[in-house]
Amino acid sequence: MQKETKKTPLYDWHVAHGANMVSFGEYEMPLWYPAGAKKEHLAVLTKAGIFDTSHMALVIVIGPDVFELLQICFTKDLYACVGKDKSPLVPGRCVYGAFLNESGKVIDDAIVYQLEHNTYMTVVNAGLGGEVARHLMAYRDRRNVEITDLTDKIGKMDIQGPMAARILMKVLVDPEEVFEDMLYFTFKGYFDEASPLADKVRLIDGTPLLLSRTGYTGEFGFEIFVDQSHLVKVWEMIFDAGQDFGLLPCGLAVRDSLRASAVLPLSHQDIGPWPFINHPWHFALPFNPNRTDFTKKFIGNEALKNIDKPEYTYAFTGYDLRKVSVYDQPIVLDSEGNKIGLVLTCICDIAIGRHGDRIYSISSPDKPENFEPKGLSCGFVKVKSKLDPGQVVELKDKRRKIKVMIVSDIRPDRTARCPIEEIIEQKEKRL
Amino acid sequence: MKEISELNLPDDIRYAEDHEWARLEGDRIRVGLDDYAQDQLGDIVFVELPQIGDTFEKGKEFATVESVKAVVECYLPVGGEIIAVNTALEESPELVNKSPYNDGWFVDVNPSDPSEMDDLMTNAECLEKLKGAD
Repeated sequence: MQKETKKTPLYDWHVAHGANMVSFGEYEMPLWYPAGAKKEHLAVLTKAGIFDTSHMALVIVIGPDVFELLQICFTKDLYACVGKDKSPLVPGRCVYGAFLNESGKVIDDAIVYQLEHNTYMTVVNAGLGGEVARHLMAYRDRRNVEITDLTDKIGKMDIQGPMAARILMKVLVDPEEVFEDMLYFTFKGYFDEASPLADKVRLIDGTPLLLSRTGYTGEFGFEIFVDQSHLVKVWEMIFDAGQDFGLLPCGLAVRDSLRASAVLPLSHQDIGPWPFINHPWHFALPFNPNRTDFTKKFIGNEALKNIDKPEYTYAFTGYDLRKVSVYDQPIVLDSEGNKIGLVLTCICDIAIGRHGDRIYSISSPDKPENFEPKGLSCGFVKVKSKLDPGQVVELKDKRRKIKVMIVSDIRPDRTARCPIEEIIEQKEKRL
Repeated sequence: MKEISELNLPDDIRYAEDHEWARLEGDRIRVGLDDYAQDQLGDIVFVELPQIGDTFEKGKEFATVESVKAVVECYLPVGGEIIAVNTALEESPELVNKSPYNDGWFVDVNPSDPSEMDDLMTNAECLEKLKGAD
């Protein structure tokens, strides 16, 4: 019997707007809307897109010993994780890391938000709220911590793209104040009316939000958390406000293509039940400055330091847009044709292209004149030998072999870290 | 995604199980990908076509279509020699989405056995099959 799939509160909206719905984990989610994945991808790079992400799960952790519990369960060193100076996590800041088991393998990746002293929230992937909550529970020991899995209780949507701030300015109460000091990986407000934090960010109809300057596309934007009962209203309000700015609703297809070329991993595809080390996401581990050791002990740290046969995960970029299909278990071949590993992700970013010896994106400020990229394949491989950026390997599936280059970054000129005032100003000029 | 009732399945062409279509045009057979397939695949970004002069038996893989999300093979609905390929798809693969039965055609075939057309489905049969699968 087929497992019944869950629907987010926006399901009817997606269907009414012609979305191609697919099963993703336990949920029925939009793959793309009638505009199509190409236009949606370009919208996020040049204008803005909104994504229904309410399938993601949220766990609240509260109590006098919560910091200690997160310190041993989460891979980031919460004493030393904010900014270049590595200062401690403070209320209003959030950080990216992972929850590992004793073998150093990934349970899930997550963002941990410090809401207040002794109050944290962690956002994990669809279907993993229960598992992460159980994991925290298992290591709670005698610590005084309360763990609440809010899976399917909170509505979540993301607005991503350079116009995101300008669109939100139309629907927020006092946007100047909300956007003040809103750096990458900071957040304000709360989705529960009962919290004193709720007054920090409200929509013009009074709805309280948690607004977080984060996202999964590599582009400037926000993740928005609201009470589930308000999600459809908030979505429609932002959708309407975005119509003058070229905002498009976006599906899972572009979420995947945008995140991969922004070198962001997909949990249980690029990271998963294997040791969480030797990959492009070293910032998610509590390394010392020379990366010779960790700055704290955490679950899985011994295993990560003592690996018999290391495997290495690398980003790659192809030479044209042709992909290998990850459904066919494609392999990686070295220059002698020996199998050295597996392809984890292979997608096409249709907004980038090669020109001379460089890669440009359609949003590169210095792109060549009349630059019309056809797209490049890109993604991640996991191999048993160490490779260096610039090395060329071949990916092979049942139909073709493609040459790709190992790289340290894929899509250039991403806007995720762009200061908020700068991006608002730039976009005002362009309007 | 299109509802089955929204699909464009013209009655002057025949349909294969894997959603290739075939249309008799004089003594050649024009082949492409139907509306259902293009809608399911989404934005098509690349089409790899055979060379003029290649010959394939009915049901053999002759083209690869790449969408943003997937890579799929296409199988020739009638065997024969490829006598023309739609070179416009090199620059504009999106023609397959925009005009699956006209500007988005794939190849012309000189059929080795034109009666193979009779094994393909009519639009009514194709529609019935899609309804059954839905």
